[in-house]
Order: sequence, then structure tokens, then C-alpha cells
Amino acid sequence: MKEFKFLIAIWKTNLQSAMEYRGAFLTQTIGMMVNNFIYFAIWIIFFDRFKDVRGWGINDMYVTFGILASSFGLVSLLFGNAFMLSDIIAKGRLDYYLSLPRPVLLHTVASRTIASGMGDFTYGLISYVASGYFTWDGLARYILAMLLAATVFVSFLIFTQSLAFWLGMMSNFSNLVLNAMLTFGIYPITLFDGYAKLILFTIIPAALMGAIPAEFIRAFTWETLAQLLLGAIGFLALAIITFNIGLRRYESGSAIQTEV
Amino acid sequence: MKHFAKYWSIFQITLLNSLAYPGEMVGRSLMIIPFMWIFYQLWKVTFSTAGADVISGLTLRDTLWYLMLAETIELSRPPLARTMSENVKDGSIAYILNKPYDFMLYQFSAAMGETIFRALVNAIFGGLTVWWLVGAPNHPEGFIIALPAIFGAWFLQFCLNAMIGLSAFVVEDVSAFTWIYQKLAFIFGGMLIPLNFYPQWLQTFAKMLPFSSAMYGPVYLSVAPSRELFISVMTLQLAWITALTILLIIIYRRGLTQLTVNGG
Repeated sequence: MKEFKFLIAIWKTNLQSAMEYRGAFLTQTIGMMVNNFIYFAIWIIFFDRFKDVRGWGINDMYVTFGILASSFGLVSLLFGNAFMLSDIIAKGRLDYYLSLPRPVLLHTVASRTIASGMGDFTYGLISYVASGYFTWDGLARYILAMLLAATVFVSFLIFTQSLAFWLGMMSNFSNLVLNAMLTFGIYPITLFDGYAKLILFTIIPAALMGAIPAEFIRAFTWETLAQLLLGAIGFLALAIITFNIGLRRYESGSAIQTEV
Repeated sequence: MKHFAKYWSIFQITLLNSLAYPGEMVGRSLMIIPFMWIFYQLWKVTFSTAGADVISGLTLRDTLWYLMLAETIELSRPPLARTMSENVKDGSIAYILNKPYDFMLYQFSAAMGETIFRALVNAIFGGLTVWWLVGAPNHPEGFIIALPAIFGAWFLQFCLNAMIGLSAFVVEDVSAFTWIYQKLAFIFGGMLIPLNFYPQWLQTFAKMLPFSSAMYGPVYLSVAPSRELFISVMTLQLAWITALTILLIIIYRRGLTQLTVNGG
């Protein structure tokens, strides 16, 4: 409860800070929505020509794109530093968080809001509403699926970026896994079978951020809910354990400074 | 000639800089492998569902080699607009502008220096992956024929990105513009889906825009090389290069009058 209050306080501060530059916040929000729409138009063109991919049609793409965008947006808004954790570790910028009496990981990742995340978050919701699958109970499932997909995503980011404790500067690798996660997440799951599917549930858990939440939103099944819950809990545990083990190896950058 | 020697040196220095960190370069280029693999999955299923070996003049093999070159061009492009925006935000623009070289030519030389080695590594990784997935290209000579058009594509992309970067002189943060530009280039440049597969009206429209000269034209030339196509791609590209260079010079001159440097 204490940590939750702390999180709320950080998010409130982040929001106030973002609102200081309202113009930039609005530009980035609207810019990202336009960006997502144009990107999605490629899928509209594709499905207009080829109709479906092994039973996966444009409406399924709306839901998948929607949940992926919303969960990505949510992580950008609430845990923006998760995207640059490896940089923070490698450059010795954890000193600041270590010097304060708060949980280091939580404090670090929540200390930044990426304004464009609001555009992703909103676009995702619009995409779901436009999918033709919208129902009120579906919306409730959407919210739950978004929270679980965001948990998988932020955990995956923390896990991969925490490898910087061992590997040092690894921004290229971080970008690689981030791009892989987003790219594989948006493609129809029906394209993959066998080992490829296994990879999308484990090494690059893109299926837990795109296809599986989308399936759960379209129709409730205990199986998909269990997959999402298991994925979220498993990756969260993996992320926390990896970060904490890595933290023991952390070397100070003598960089206690104001983090803005 | 002596005047251009300094830009050649800038190009060489940036190229050597990129060679100084081969591990980083290779790491970054690995991204093309999953991209090509996922494209293969998508188009294999699409061709199989359509029950056709050739769709709009392209086979599965052509499509994959097309996408490989398109990705190579795109992934090799340095983030010029973002760099220029950062230069404006942190004030370092002041140090670049007062040096005895032309700002735009400096940016171009540095951008090309960053591009060349990156493109080579991307092409090697991407080419090997596609070769393994679908076999050798149907027209290997196409990649040589398309080379001038590929350089033209990079020049056009430089002009477009520099214009976005220059907008930082006025608005400082250009990220929203770069996202939108990138996605417009994806859609109208035929980067993820060859323009051949678009509805006719959209193909006609897309081919009228500079994005297709900066991507689709050179890439399609590499998989379907012919004298007529070469002439048509190069003519259109040169027309765009002329128009955008003039526009870039005008925007740059105007931008200089509006620039406010924040410290530095």
C-alpha cells in the first residue's frame, strides 16, 4: 500500500512535469496517433487485397494492434524509464535512486513519462472500438488484458535491459529486442507454428502482448486468461530477480545528481 | 575540387568512426534477420493462400529480395532529423554553424559516412537470410544496375530528413514529424508491401510522390531490371532530387534567420 501511494505520487509529479510543456505533450500525443493510423493503413491495404491470412482478417488486426498500442502506451506513460534502463545502469545513473529510501527498481522505472505514450494508449482504444468486436464486457476484458500485457511488456523490458549489469552498454541489443517484440506482436499469430510459436511465448513473448490478449478480448476463455496471468507473473518475477541479482554487481558512477 | 576535399574528409572520418565499433554495427544490423524471417512467413502464406506463383508481376522470391533491399535502405539511414534536433536543443548547433564549412554539405557527408558501412552489413545479413529462405535472386545483376538509384534514394531521403531536422530551428522537438514521415515513407514508398500489390489508384498516387523515388523505384529496379525501367526511375529521381535540393536550400536559409541557440 505504501509503495502504491509512492507510485501515485511519482505519476502525479510526472504528469505535472509533462503538463508544463502542454504544446509538446499535445503534439506528441496527436503525432503518435496519426503515426499509428498511417502505419495501420498498410494493414488495411494488405487485407483489402489478400482478404485473410489463415483465418486472420482485418478486424482481428484492429484488436491486436489496439491492445499492443494501448499496453505499449501505458508502459510509456507509467514506466517510461524501463525503455532506457540499460543506459541508466551502464552510465552509473542508478546512484541517485540508490541514495533514496525507496524501492530502487520501482522508483527508477516510474520516474519518467513518455508523452507520446498517451497517443498510443488512446489510439489503441479507438482501434478496439473500431474493430467491430466492441462490447461492454469486451471492454472490461480489454482493460484487464491491457494491464496484463503491459505487465509482460514492462517486465520483459526490465529483464532484457538489466543484462546491462553484466554486459555494460547495450543500447543496440535493447533496441533489437524491443523492435522484435513490437514487430512480432503485430503480425497475425496464425503465420507461426511449432518452434516459432514457442519463441513468441518465451524468448520474445510478443504473443502475450498481441495475439493472446486479442483472443481474450474477442471471447473469454479460462485458457487465454491463464496464459496471460502466468505470463505476467512469470515475467514479472524474472525481471525483479534479474534486476536484484544484477544490482549486486552495480558499480557507482559517482553521479549523484538531480534526475529530471 | 579543393573545396570538396574537406567534405570528403568528413565522409571518411564518419566512415572510420562507424568502422571503429564493428560489434555495435553488427549488433544493430542483426535486426534485419527477424524482419526478413517474418516477411517470409507472411508472404509465403499469402502466396500460398492466393494459389499463385506470381502476383502483380512478382514471385515470392522477388518479393523477399525486394523487401530485403527496402529494409537495407531504411535501416541504414542515420537518424539525421533527430540529430539535428538534438543539436538545436543542446546548443551544439552553434559550434557546427560557425565552422568553415557549409552546414548542409557537412550533414550530408557525415550522413553518407554513417550509411555506407551500415548498408553493407545490413545487406550481408539480410541477403544471407533471404538466400537461405528462398534462394538466390532471379536477377542478381539488378542490384548492380540499381546502385545509382540506391544512392539517389539516400540523397532524396537526406533532403527530406534534413527538412524535418531544420524544422527544429523553429519548433525544437521534431519527433512527431519524424514518426509521421517514416510511416508515410513506409506506405507510399512501398517499404513493407511492394506498390505492385496496391490498388491501381493508390499505386498511381504513390508513384507521383518523392517517397516512391526514394524507395520503391530503386528497389523494384533491382528485382526487375530493364533499360526502360532504369531510365524511368532515374529520370523521375533526378527531377525530385533537383526540386528537393532547391527547396532544402530555401528552407535552410530561412531557418537560419529563425534559429535561437540555447546556450551550448
